[in-house]
Amino acid sequence: MGKVAFRKIRLFLLPPLTKRFFVRILIIAIAAYLFFSYICLPLQIKGNSMEPTYPSRGINFCWRLRYLFSEPRRHDVVVVRFAGSKVMLLKRVVGLEGEQIEFRHGKLLVDGDPLEEPYVVYPCNWNLPPRKVDKGCVYVVGDNRGMPIENHYFGQASMERIMGGPVW
Amino acid sequence: MVKSKHLILAFLIVIVGLSAAFLFFPSEEKKVQKRFALLSEHVSKKPGENTFTMANKVKGIGALFAENCNFTVSDYSLSGNYTREEISGIAFRGRGHFSSLRLKFYDSKVSFLERDLARVNLTARLTGKSVYGEQVDETRELICHLKNIEKKWLFSSFEVIEVLKR
Repeated sequence: MGKVAFRKIRLFLLPPLTKRFFVRILIIAIAAYLFFSYICLPLQIKGNSMEPTYPSRGINFCWRLRYLFSEPRRHDVVVVRFAGSKVMLLKRVVGLEGEQIEFRHGKLLVDGDPLEEPYVVYPCNWNLPPRKVDKGCVYVVGDNRGMPIENHYFGQASMERIMGGPVW
Repeated sequence: MVKSKHLILAFLIVIVGLSAAFLFFPSEEKKVQKRFALLSEHVSKKPGENTFTMANKVKGIGALFAENCNFTVSDYSLSGNYTREEISGIAFRGRGHFSSLRLKFYDSKVSFLERDLARVNLTARLTGKSVYGEQVDETRELICHLKNIEKKWLFSSFEVIEVLKR
């Protein structure tokens, strides 16, 4: 019994280099390439605009199928295509199309009502006059509101640029 | 045996011919991409660049632009129409703020709107160090237009895509 198990393990770890083995390797390589190039894109987080939810230098994946059959909802974290096919932004959806967004003394107001944001930890004193989210767009902001408003990249993004959501 | 030798020789001649055609008669798309490679080369700056190299590079930047070029950059005062000389001046002053600079272009997609008008959608990444020691790392998506004037593709407009609009 022990010998059979050992033989099976050895065959699994060191399989004979047959044609079938190479075909299997090729299929796995192609499947992995397609999966990680088009469905689940690896991401390296650079910058602290999503802290503390997503710290800088963290690793994640963009799940491209996240919004295949649904639209981004409020409080969802989304991946926005920024430039080319490799540079993306990780942001949180706070406003949907047609809504009015405003920052008043650090509080985010949607259509004039304050929005509960448990993910915002750092104190904030941002002020931004009201603006309406255009059709086919969502309003995205990072979780780190402790940084000066001038240094934080946020605003309305076209739905066409939403690539998906982070896996975790 | 002789027949197969002839076949191999013919195959090699075809390969060499095709390579030469690609090398000496580049497509219009290649010519357009070459202009971006030149722009990247001229904008980039190594630490300790001497005055002669700097003057050559600034002159080279100006030569890549049409007589008038339009810049659209939201939230910056840079937007507007500039002549070739003005662009050289801006490039000269801009490069002076950096001790080292590197401009790279990625993901370029070239399309021809007309025979003599090309539209290029691409990503530009500017990295470097200011004279005060600050690191610079900026990436933007651009839409550029180039006009074919006297058999030379020259930049006629630059637009920085505004991904997040406040």
